[in-house]
Amino acid sequence: MASKQATIASFVEAAPPGELSNVVADIKALASSEAQSLEPAFKKYNEEQYTTVKLPGSAEAVLVSEYNSLGNGRYFDAVSQTSFEIDHASQKASGAQQHPLESSHADLVRSLQKAFAAASTEHFPSSTIGVFPTSSDSAVALLLVANKYSPQNFWNGRWRSTYLLDPASNTLSGTIKVDVHYYEDGNVRMSTQKKLELNGSSGAESIVRSIAKAENDFQAELNRAFTTLSEGSFKGLRRQLPVTRQRVEWEKIGGYRLGQDIGGGRSK
Amino acid sequence: MADPFDAALDLLRRLPPSSTSENLSGIIALRPDLEEDLLSSVDVALTTKRCPKSGRDYLCCDYNRDGSSYRSPWSNEFDPAINAEDAQDLVPVGRVRRMEEALNAAVDVYRELYYEGGVSSGYLWALEEGFAGVVLFKKSSAANGAGKGGWDSIHVLEVAESATKRSAHYKLTSTVILDLGLKSSSVDSLELAGNLTRQTQQDLPLGGLRDADVEAGHVANIGRMVEDMETRMRNLLQEVYFGKAKDVVGDLRSIQPLSEAEKDRAAHRDVLSKMNR
Repeated sequence: MASKQATIASFVEAAPPGELSNVVADIKALASSEAQSLEPAFKKYNEEQYTTVKLPGSAEAVLVSEYNSLGNGRYFDAVSQTSFEIDHASQKASGAQQHPLESSHADLVRSLQKAFAAASTEHFPSSTIGVFPTSSDSAVALLLVANKYSPQNFWNGRWRSTYLLDPASNTLSGTIKVDVHYYEDGNVRMSTQKKLELNGSSGAESIVRSIAKAENDFQAELNRAFTTLSEGSFKGLRRQLPVTRQRVEWEKIGGYRLGQDIGGGRSK
Repeated sequence: MADPFDAALDLLRRLPPSSTSENLSGIIALRPDLEEDLLSSVDVALTTKRCPKSGRDYLCCDYNRDGSSYRSPWSNEFDPAINAEDAQDLVPVGRVRRMEEALNAAVDVYRELYYEGGVSSGYLWALEEGFAGVVLFKKSSAANGAGKGGWDSIHVLEVAESATKRSAHYKLTSTVILDLGLKSSSVDSLELAGNLTRQTQQDLPLGGLRDADVEAGHVANIGRMVEDMETRMRNLLQEVYFGKAKDVVGDLRSIQPLSEAEKDRAAHRDVLSKMNR
């Protein structure tokens, strides 16, 4: 049995897009004393879900991830060359300081930032991106998060893209994760992920083009997968109408037994 | 501070439905005082047991449970056996058991017609006025090219008879738990899991004056209400799982470049305004 602390941490980490504050309020109502020390769970949630924050005195949103973490609750933004501190519980940034981009790939980071920002607006009505030198400056991370929250209609969604570029070999490996939650008189969750390997592109423009193409292909495949499930396993579970195309005549239900071999859930 | 029971239900409505059982255990570990209320109001995927007497499978839920024993609708006996005193309170007899037997026979036919397999069970118990019951269905399909799937439906009924027994008021609360999953090289993994709950109430006539006619009337009324509800919920599930979820993904990201989509819209507006000229 997991400890109480581990249990509530797992609740925080599994919070659906846009519903962290609701989940936290529920946890506090259930276990107020254990809910005091959720900081590590908030940090994990924010870094994994690419939580976006506004820099102090700026309208620009910046995302939080393990790739732009400086440790001690501080993160950096490559565009404004600023570092900042996050209060993981309130998701607020403070303590902005200058943080010059020090990377042997600084030019590449800047051109990827520009190209990736432009390319993302072509496909995402609203998104936040980040391009960061990472892994001791041996790689460049390209991150994107797009959120759409509609709590008044009981649904929320999040798309996350993560790509790691090895500038030495021009190989790009990535993951797309999409989460959708619908909760009107129910609880329905869609989650999907796809790993990608994209090779052979060099130059910022060509790299972001290959990303857009791979994401288009994935999204088309995802739409096909919905159809496969709808036409396949969903149809196989319960018919819309019996084979007879007629509703059951409940008054005469005893009569159905005469002409038919009813298996009756007997195991085979 | 919010009521802990409401908070627990709200939490279970938000956390991934594929982990509802684990999350329910977790909440109960945090708040053992909520155990009984939560177990009787949170629907989890049904488990199947083999009736030792009839050899047939039946479904287990909180309503045919006593401790770790479950009552088979086929034999009307608990497995493992419970003590005689408890059994007196928990094993239906007479009219309620007669209707339970007829209900099980009827939903068995219904199950074969709609599910072409799976397992069904119905349980009834007497109330001070009228009776209550639950009708359960479970069907699973193993993973193949079309994905894996599991359907569990739980229909809880409350029945109040009019004084003359010429009609009755039926209150139905239905939950369908639907888990679908697909693994393929093109999307790696797609999980669509969840549950929807809907309620309905109806006054329905009971034909005949003899006890047997009234009993048969209840079984037919319950069966028809369950059939209508399942048909309605199947359509709703289809909309939410394959319509809504897909639409939200499309709202997050557009395959067509947004600048092209805007040009298309402008051209469309242009055509419309020319037509209206």
